[in-house]
Amino acid sequence: MARKSALTPALIVIVGFLTISPVVMLVAGSFSEGFGAFHGFTTAKYVEAYTDPELSAILLDTSIFTLGSAAVATLLALFLAYVNTRTDIPFKFFFGIISIIPMMIPHILFSVSWVLLLNPSNGILNRYLMGLFGLKEALFNIYSLPGMILVEGLLDLPIAYLIIAPAMSAFDVSLEESSRACGASAMRTLTRVTLPVLRPAILASAILVIVKSLASFAVPSVIGTPGRIYVLATHIYRIIATGFSPDYGKAAAVGMSALVASILLVYLYRYLTSESDRYVTISSRGFKPALIDLKGAKYPLLGVIGLLSFVLIVLPVLVLLYTSMLPYIMVPDAKALSLMSWKNWGEVLRDPISLLALKNSLMLGLVGATLGVILSIFVSYAIVKVRTAASGILESLSFLSFSFPGIVIGVGFMWFFVRTPLYATIWALLIGYIAAYLPYGIRPLSSAFVQIHSHLEESSRVCGAGPFTTLRRIVIPLLIPGIVSGWILMASMFLRELTLSVVLSRPGTEVLAVQILRFAEDGLWGRLSALGIIMIFISSALVAAASLLGKALTKW
Amino acid sequence: MEIRIRGLTRDYFSEGKRIRALDNVDLTIPANRIFTLLGPSGCGKTTLLRCIVGLETPDAGEIAIGDEIVWSTEKGIFVPPEKRGLGMVFQTYAIWPHMTVFENVAFPLKCRNMPMEEIRIRVARFLEFVQLDGFENRPATKLSGGQQQRVALARALVAEPKVILFDEPLSNLDAKLREETRKELRRFLAGLNITAVYVTHDRVEALALSDLIAIMRAGRIVEVGDPKQIYFRSGDRFVADFIGRANLIKGKVAALEGSHAVIETDVGAIVGLNPRGIEPGTEAMLCVRPEFIRTEATGVAGGRNLFRGKIETLLFIGEAYEGEIRIGDTLVTTTISPTVDVVEGGDIFLSFDTDHCFLLPA
Repeated sequence: MARKSALTPALIVIVGFLTISPVVMLVAGSFSEGFGAFHGFTTAKYVEAYTDPELSAILLDTSIFTLGSAAVATLLALFLAYVNTRTDIPFKFFFGIISIIPMMIPHILFSVSWVLLLNPSNGILNRYLMGLFGLKEALFNIYSLPGMILVEGLLDLPIAYLIIAPAMSAFDVSLEESSRACGASAMRTLTRVTLPVLRPAILASAILVIVKSLASFAVPSVIGTPGRIYVLATHIYRIIATGFSPDYGKAAAVGMSALVASILLVYLYRYLTSESDRYVTISSRGFKPALIDLKGAKYPLLGVIGLLSFVLIVLPVLVLLYTSMLPYIMVPDAKALSLMSWKNWGEVLRDPISLLALKNSLMLGLVGATLGVILSIFVSYAIVKVRTAASGILESLSFLSFSFPGIVIGVGFMWFFVRTPLYATIWALLIGYIAAYLPYGIRPLSSAFVQIHSHLEESSRVCGAGPFTTLRRIVIPLLIPGIVSGWILMASMFLRELTLSVVLSRPGTEVLAVQILRFAEDGLWGRLSALGIIMIFISSALVAAASLLGKALTKW
Repeated sequence: MEIRIRGLTRDYFSEGKRIRALDNVDLTIPANRIFTLLGPSGCGKTTLLRCIVGLETPDAGEIAIGDEIVWSTEKGIFVPPEKRGLGMVFQTYAIWPHMTVFENVAFPLKCRNMPMEEIRIRVARFLEFVQLDGFENRPATKLSGGQQQRVALARALVAEPKVILFDEPLSNLDAKLREETRKELRRFLAGLNITAVYVTHDRVEALALSDLIAIMRAGRIVEVGDPKQIYFRSGDRFVADFIGRANLIKGKVAALEGSHAVIETDVGAIVGLNPRGIEPGTEAMLCVRPEFIRTEATGVAGGRNLFRGKIETLLFIGEAYEGEIRIGDTLVTTTISPTVDVVEGGDIFLSFDTDHCFLLPA
């Protein structure tokens, strides 16, 4: 008993340190004179940051970018969820695939693939269309706000879908039927019944996408920056990473507003999702709504879904693979074919920095995910099974980092690490990663613990198994799926991590995504693509290996 | 095996308040009988069961299973659940989802290091016993509720324990299946030489299944008896009311008539069984179950146990009417045959069966 009661406070200290210290340091840093020195309280950084004449344009673009992405992702998710749950469309597994792609393709590579396709000077699709219609100018310019919104919206589609689809399938169709029976038209039913009932889910999805796109760094840096469109994340990055002297105080001051906005939005999200219980309309079990017969619309609609899956999953990999073989971006034709070679691959594999980044990322993925999962096991155990009064505090603490924009928290960690020997080491990245992505490990593990009803352990004891045998034969096998999915989530997040890394990574601690960003900044698309494919390959291999291992372990 | 419990006490702390789940319980559960702990939720019956199994530790007292003391606060003995050699069926069945039916049932035998060949034979025998032969390789989670329940039973029985414990095992089944499973369970247990301790809050289940019933209330055992004894001759007002529908009529014993007694009540003088031998002149309570009140549309009041009343409410429930009859200030609940011609507000004659109403201490 004594050991159990010490567990929760100990975890509160660890998790609290991981999540609170960067925020405290961020606040302290924003009021400090110079980097690394806290003496001398000053509001000068705030004055400087918020009297910046550029800031109003940045805030406007940030608002348009985040709201636009939220609209794109949510509308698409509504469409997909409706088609999936309410129509007789075949191949419904597509919808499952669409909802897990963020596991497959890192955001920075997805953004780059769109740059390769639609940049105004030599985008493959642009060039192709120009040739096709004999145009003088490119048809599309990805380096624009609509371009950013499109790409971010597609990237955040899975989040929106995962919120809206369950709400859609829980929707009681008899609400619609009674509206029609009362004499309302189909349109009126949609606007007065269906959408209002789904409103909490729609709002929740929109808010979560806003939070995600506010924290997004890949899209604004790869697509926004070349078009001179800055949002808060790239503005902060510009303050610390370009120019003569990086100003971490000013970055902290700017970051505070992103942090506050994000926390408020997550708070609102939580309020809405708890509020939405009032709207629960799930009728008695076994209720299956009649599916709409799509008739002639079936195959065109299927085409749209197929195209979306193609654009989301296949196209980025295809474009990267293609580009990795070419000296520069070109439209696929006989000439391109004749120029294809493995030259970029060879260069990447001989590039010491790329190799270092590869090694660092692998180490961070393997070691970081393992440590992260171990911490998550203890935290989930304390939250789900020990259940003391302190468990609630621990739970709130461990999900806090969901609302922290990565780059802002990176600046906070920078303020923290600069005063420790960890500064500029790989351990700084490791700690930062675990802090920022802890919820990814805790979520699957706490649901695994929830599934282990105390009766399952107790019955094993009554059957004659001692505590150790019970742990080995009952508890651990039942936890393994949670451990595996937590590990996979964390490892694939760490392998592709960009937003924290752009701040914390120093010479010697380069990681894959940062190296890819450097290639993008230098326009080295061929090498970028080769390294990107390697990254996707490693990530997929890790996922496959972990699932196989998990399967083997549950059998054992 | 006999189970002897002496002075068992267990306290809970909930929201800063001390709740006494078990209050100095003394109980002897005889060997090879089906023994039911019956009581309303929160009466301590599950806590008592879990103390017997060893999943909970009492604050004071002693538990002995057969000749072995498995818990004693005084002597500082605690035998962990895995060493007590019991079988248990949980309310949730607690079927391990990562194992097949065979692996679930084989588990207790594997823990006892039985050779694989023997395990195979034994598991097959018990799966056949619960009529699940051929289900060995099914994942346990793919079974229906009733089948899972039988897997749980096979698993509890497979090591051939001398005592098996049931914690509300039927409460997750739907009404129809519950009735069938009840019968089956009775049949299964009758064929074995085993002491069964069964916890439930369902009185019909307790009556139908048990050889002996112990009724619990607020951490104490109120009464122990066989089903008929509890139903017809309970000595406790709470028990009489809990085990079935009952009209409890207050009065004073007027005279004894052999095994019967006359009790003077607001309704009039009523003759009933006097199993506790309550002396004349003492306050007592008469318990009349609605099933044992005969009703007649006509008659002459004044005969033995025959009273005239007015029908206050009448509810048709299919097999009978359920009526509330007012006799003076007393309201009596009764079942009325649907063939009797009655209307709400009408008069009716009630006759209490002298052998099926009984006196209990007030």
